[in-house]
Amino acid sequence: MTIDEKALSTHGQWPWPRDRMADLVARLAAARPLVIGVDIFFPEPDRFSPAVLAERIEGRAPGIAASLRGMPSNDALFGKALALVPSVLGVAGLASTDPRFAGPPRSPPVRFLDGAGEAIRAYPGHLRNVPEIDAGAAGHGLYSIDLEGGVARRLQMLGRFDQAVVPTLAVEMIRIALAAPLTVAPSAGGTIELRFGDYAVPAQPDGRAYVRYGRSDPGRFVSAASVLDGSFDVSQLEGKLVLVGFTGLGLADLVATPLGETVFGVENHAQAAEAILEGQFLRRIALAPRIEAALLIAFGLGLFVFIPRSNAVRSAAVLVAGIVALLGAGALAFAQAGLLFDPAGPALGAMAVFGVMQAGSLAEAQRQRQQLREQAARMAGELDAAKRIQMGLLPDPAEVFAGEGRVDVAALLEPARTVGGDFYDCFLLDGRRLFFVVADVSGKGLPASLFMASVKSILKSAALTVEGSVGGILARAQDEIRRENPESLFVTALAGVLDLETGELEYANAGHEPAWSHVPQGRPERLDASGGPPLCVLDVYSYPSTRRTLQRGEWLLALSDGATEAMNERKEFFGTERLRTSLGWLGDEADAKVIVNRVRDDVRRFSGAAEAADDLTLLAIRWNGPAAEL
Amino acid sequence: MALLARRFANALVIGVAGRLDQDNCEAFRVDLMAHVERSAHDGGAVVLDLSGLEYVSSAGLRCFMLASRQAKAQHGRISVACLQPMVAEIFEISHFNMVFQVFGTVREALAAASNEAAAAFDQA
Repeated sequence: MTIDEKALSTHGQWPWPRDRMADLVARLAAARPLVIGVDIFFPEPDRFSPAVLAERIEGRAPGIAASLRGMPSNDALFGKALALVPSVLGVAGLASTDPRFAGPPRSPPVRFLDGAGEAIRAYPGHLRNVPEIDAGAAGHGLYSIDLEGGVARRLQMLGRFDQAVVPTLAVEMIRIALAAPLTVAPSAGGTIELRFGDYAVPAQPDGRAYVRYGRSDPGRFVSAASVLDGSFDVSQLEGKLVLVGFTGLGLADLVATPLGETVFGVENHAQAAEAILEGQFLRRIALAPRIEAALLIAFGLGLFVFIPRSNAVRSAAVLVAGIVALLGAGALAFAQAGLLFDPAGPALGAMAVFGVMQAGSLAEAQRQRQQLREQAARMAGELDAAKRIQMGLLPDPAEVFAGEGRVDVAALLEPARTVGGDFYDCFLLDGRRLFFVVADVSGKGLPASLFMASVKSILKSAALTVEGSVGGILARAQDEIRRENPESLFVTALAGVLDLETGELEYANAGHEPAWSHVPQGRPERLDASGGPPLCVLDVYSYPSTRRTLQRGEWLLALSDGATEAMNERKEFFGTERLRTSLGWLGDEADAKVIVNRVRDDVRRFSGAAEAADDLTLLAIRWNGPAAEL
Repeated sequence: MALLARRFANALVIGVAGRLDQDNCEAFRVDLMAHVERSAHDGGAVVLDLSGLEYVSSAGLRCFMLASRQAKAQHGRISVACLQPMVAEIFEISHFNMVFQVFGTVREALAAASNEAAAAFDQA
């Protein structure tokens, strides 16, 4: 039954004279409801009471005043009306004492089992109704809803006022309807339970309970105006619990429920009563925070272990799956068991762990990248140094043969990688004999370049010490190299000795690409490929020497397989025929430098964008004739 | 580079295909050595069928050389057969035909190893 806009417009503004309230309650009482609960406070005496009016008209109409004074007060009438049926009035907990209501309110006897009530919230002061009205009440209900963030989530089921313990309005109404005593007992998970009759209401140790709020139902509101003018058949209220409250907008007794609705305070009480009758209470067991903490720790530790072993995408998937599982479990516990858990804590905690871990692994990844960069730079630096040393091992023919008119020598070595396994050498054995060699160590890169350095010095020493054929020099070198060759690498080599006075050439080939020659007015010619396998392939081998007498102006080109086996992007080889064509374009007058540059350019142009697979080495020697004829 | 090994009597024919260079020769060497060791242990011959081999670099030649050395050390026989022109030229220039016996066909290589192997090849 609500004092709504319609009632206010029909019967005037609030506060109504209490005799009208008495009339209202009396009409309700006629229907014999089980209990009437009044969700309105009347803490001050009614200013429309006859005695109050008498005081105001005392001087003007003493007779009327005297008869007014003889009439019962409106508050007394209201109290009497309330006494017609079992009725419950309110007590509101206050943070400080109200001098009008010093003593504790009336309260029903409450039995506490096993110290269950010790933690119940105690209020220093309270507000209740004037004694005349209060006298008509069968019981008192606590009107206190703690708004958490503006939302009524929990209802204070029990409140302590000094020695008195007052249950909430809904509990007290039902308890009085049942005429049952109230017992407070400990319950599962550290909670307490309010027992009365067959009902048990779970609550937290401090007396608060989560009400499972339903949707607002305008159908159960009855306007006070309809009751007062008789248009509402009050007999419908027989055997019912009746709540009297405000819904007038100007009186604004509004609360927000967790369902996001704003309802009138009186409906809040009605829903609490329904929840009690249907056993619809939500439990937040005392272990809940520990369970949430355990979940947080478990999830956090899980992520802590998992994230470093997995990639970011999979970790994020695990995080999302975990959070969904937490939310799902929370929702399931709520729907199935009425248990309240807060999955937000563990979920947010896990997200924080995830964030921190990801930031950590990002920092670690950056540190590693930095380290790799430094390492790469160091390696590159060392490789560059190795390259400078390797290149330094190779003689510059222009320097070696400076002022030598009988012969024109040029050489070129371009490693496929920073350092390589090719090398060449050329020097004078004596005043007229020029030794040259072009060689290729099997393999590439640093291992090959180390081996190459050793092989080159062995070959030079063999050339300088062995008297006799070029084949003999190779055989001697092979003996030496084999002794220091744990990796079983081998070397292809083309070595020769040119007599600068006679043009006599003696050369030997150990598995190497044959050299080319070009006589004046002739065509490029590939010298014969006879010889033997690369050095260190066979244990013992006598390399045969081949002889040839050069013409004046004839030139030779020794090269490595980096030229003929150079590949383009279509995986085609440069090959012997392209080399022949390339050399054919060189005229008789081409000097050694021009020859090597020409071949190099043609090979590089052929390869195009393809990465060089092998070192490219070229050594050109042009015999200009004996000194006497220059 | 996967090696395809076929057995004919006591001879093992190992097919080598593709390009054999610095990048894949180490895996090839390990596989080849295992085959050669097992075969030599059984007293059989090994024939490398190079019909599918397009190119061999000096690093690849080194693998052949090591296989040959191992076979020799265990008194086994190893030969190559069916060289493509490019590979044949490489073998010629590097004089690896002094290291391996080179045959035009697998059958010729098997016949040089043993009559049983050639017979088994004919039956297959």
